[in-house]
Amino acid sequence: MKESKIQENLKRPLVVSAGIHSALLAALLISVPAAHYRGEAWGGPGGSAINVSVVRNLPGIPLPRPEVVTASRRATESKGLHRSEPKTPEPPAKAAVEIPRFGQQPPTRPARRSPPARPEPEPEPEPPGAIPYGEGGPPALPYTPIQMGGAEGGMSFGSGGAFGLRYSWYVESVRRRVSSNWLISTIDPYVRYAPRVVITFEILRDGTIVNIQMLRSSGVASVDRSAMRALQESSPLDRLPTDYAGEKVQVEFWFDFQR
Amino acid sequence: MKLKGNRLGSSLTLPTVALLLLSSTALWAVRTQEDWFRTGTGMGVEKFRLAVPDFRVVGLQFNPLGETFNRVLWADLEYSGVFDLVSKSFYPLVPPAAPEELRPQEWVAEPVNTHLVVFGYVNASSTTVAIGAWVYDVRNPRSPPVLAKVYRGDASEGTVRQLAHQLADEIVSRLSGGLPGIAQSRIAFVSNRTGSKEIWLMDYDGHNQVRLTYHNSISLAPRWSPDGTRVAFTTYAQGKPDIQIHSLVTNRRVAFPTYPNTTTTLAWSPDGRQVAFSSSLTGNQEIYVSNSDGSNLRRLTDLPSVDISPAWNPRTGQQIAFVSDRGGAPQIYLMDADGANVERLTSGEGYATSPAWSPNGQMIAFAWQKDLSSFDVYVLDVATRRTVQLTYNGGRNEQPVWAPDGRHLVFQSNRSGRDQIWTMLADGTQLRQLTLDGSNSAPQWSWR
Repeated sequence: MKESKIQENLKRPLVVSAGIHSALLAALLISVPAAHYRGEAWGGPGGSAINVSVVRNLPGIPLPRPEVVTASRRATESKGLHRSEPKTPEPPAKAAVEIPRFGQQPPTRPARRSPPARPEPEPEPEPPGAIPYGEGGPPALPYTPIQMGGAEGGMSFGSGGAFGLRYSWYVESVRRRVSSNWLISTIDPYVRYAPRVVITFEILRDGTIVNIQMLRSSGVASVDRSAMRALQESSPLDRLPTDYAGEKVQVEFWFDFQR
Repeated sequence: MKLKGNRLGSSLTLPTVALLLLSSTALWAVRTQEDWFRTGTGMGVEKFRLAVPDFRVVGLQFNPLGETFNRVLWADLEYSGVFDLVSKSFYPLVPPAAPEELRPQEWVAEPVNTHLVVFGYVNASSTTVAIGAWVYDVRNPRSPPVLAKVYRGDASEGTVRQLAHQLADEIVSRLSGGLPGIAQSRIAFVSNRTGSKEIWLMDYDGHNQVRLTYHNSISLAPRWSPDGTRVAFTTYAQGKPDIQIHSLVTNRRVAFPTYPNTTTTLAWSPDGRQVAFSSSLTGNQEIYVSNSDGSNLRRLTDLPSVDISPAWNPRTGQQIAFVSDRGGAPQIYLMDADGANVERLTSGEGYATSPAWSPNGQMIAFAWQKDLSSFDVYVLDVATRRTVQLTYNGGRNEQPVWAPDGRHLVFQSNRSGRDQIWTMLADGTQLRQLTLDGSNSAPQWSWR
């Protein structure tokens, strides 16, 4: 009687425990693939740790390629400050002229004295960290300057995650659309320059822009307003790429204003 | 027994609930980790470089449809104003007709140096045509195609043109961030090529010109309804200027009242439910607004001056631009849709006529005879009142109207001798003459 009661007491927790374990296993089995289905699959194309191709592969930026891309490129505006010139060969020593014996020849006119040779200036010692001539230039960084109409901007995609890698044409199309809706004529004409405005928003599957938030204000109200309006005018954007599995994409967009 | 069962049940449900909660939070945590990207703008916008090799013609030999398709697609993409098309002479000798045949490095290298390649095939039999089209980002060779589609239709030139327009619109829309392409839009205009001024319609590239009205009178100022199913115009069919509305669906006249005296220059509200027009039904030419069937008539202006050519802000529907000579010479004015807050937009110099809003409601294109020289097309930024002149030294240029993409304008010009319809990019470049026969005027681009 007592034994059977103990048996019964053990049976129930065992059943419960087995049930819980199987349920946990099932939940894990279901949730992991379901979770991975959203957004970009890990290790998808372009998602590898080092993918240098992005910067180069940006569409839509007709940058002239640097003339020489050296592996040891250093970032300066100029091509390199110090050109090391080849050493000029020493002039060959002239043969010594024999001194005529006294009285044998009429005294010759004294030879015109050549001006005293100016001493060769000593080459200045190169400062430490000087860039050899021709090795400077724009850095090979994920930063591409755009120059148009006196204004300058830039953009960085490199850290854009897998989306920017896979759908760089979509990123570019967003940039184009927002740029074309940014009406700088609405900016106060006295403003000549404004610090960078950074705005974040989300693009839903159908291209609608939601959650527009100002991450960093420029401090100039009319510039902030024109940037916000540019985004509001751009909604809806084109729908997200059809083979993209995610529900929405987060965007950080910046505006540089300079007259 | 009953009690025991209950206890078992409750001891099972509690962990199950906990488990469900756990798994759902795990799911939620992953779901919130969305993809993102970062981008920005200075002030320039660059163009995509696009390579469009001829689509390979398979099936029937010597089929003119493939040639038509390639020509129309190239013209559409070139005219869109979004792309720099790479000249065909730079392309590899055998362009791909399917994704397997695409070798991206050939297209990235000099001299092609393109970002995207559009390629495909035209498979034409004697009755049907199938067109496969792909767009690949060759600089990211491992990324999925930007576009992959198959279009089918019957083997006629009209269908093939339509399919090329569809593909071009799709490409433009994908690569310009959702702005519509205009390759499938149409243009209404007035032509006297049959002897009397009638309303005609044509494709945006000047093809497929068809006659709409047979009044043998004078018909003027065609105006598309926003949904593209109706065209309103002014006609002298009853001896004086009246407005008629013609349905393109039923190909019949739609009821619209005939008012006393002169009624002209109709404008549709962006929702298509209301119309504004200029009428002298009380003796003086004023702006009126009514429902599109003529009911609920209201007068907006009340001055002893001529007020004509209303144009409804297509974005908000809250403002109406119009032409008035209340200050002397005709100038562009702006008022609210209920007639309040009238202000002059143009500087007051010369003659300014025929205002047309850009689709985003921020610009107004108009014709201006600034210093008694000749009419030219100008664009006015409504926010700042700044104007930009778009046409120069090219005869008389009048009646500008925006294309639905906001990048193009259509206008009437006599630079080639007689009045003809021309289009251009909104910066004044890429001029293109669309009409050749007779004298053609008063163009109007459809809303989409």
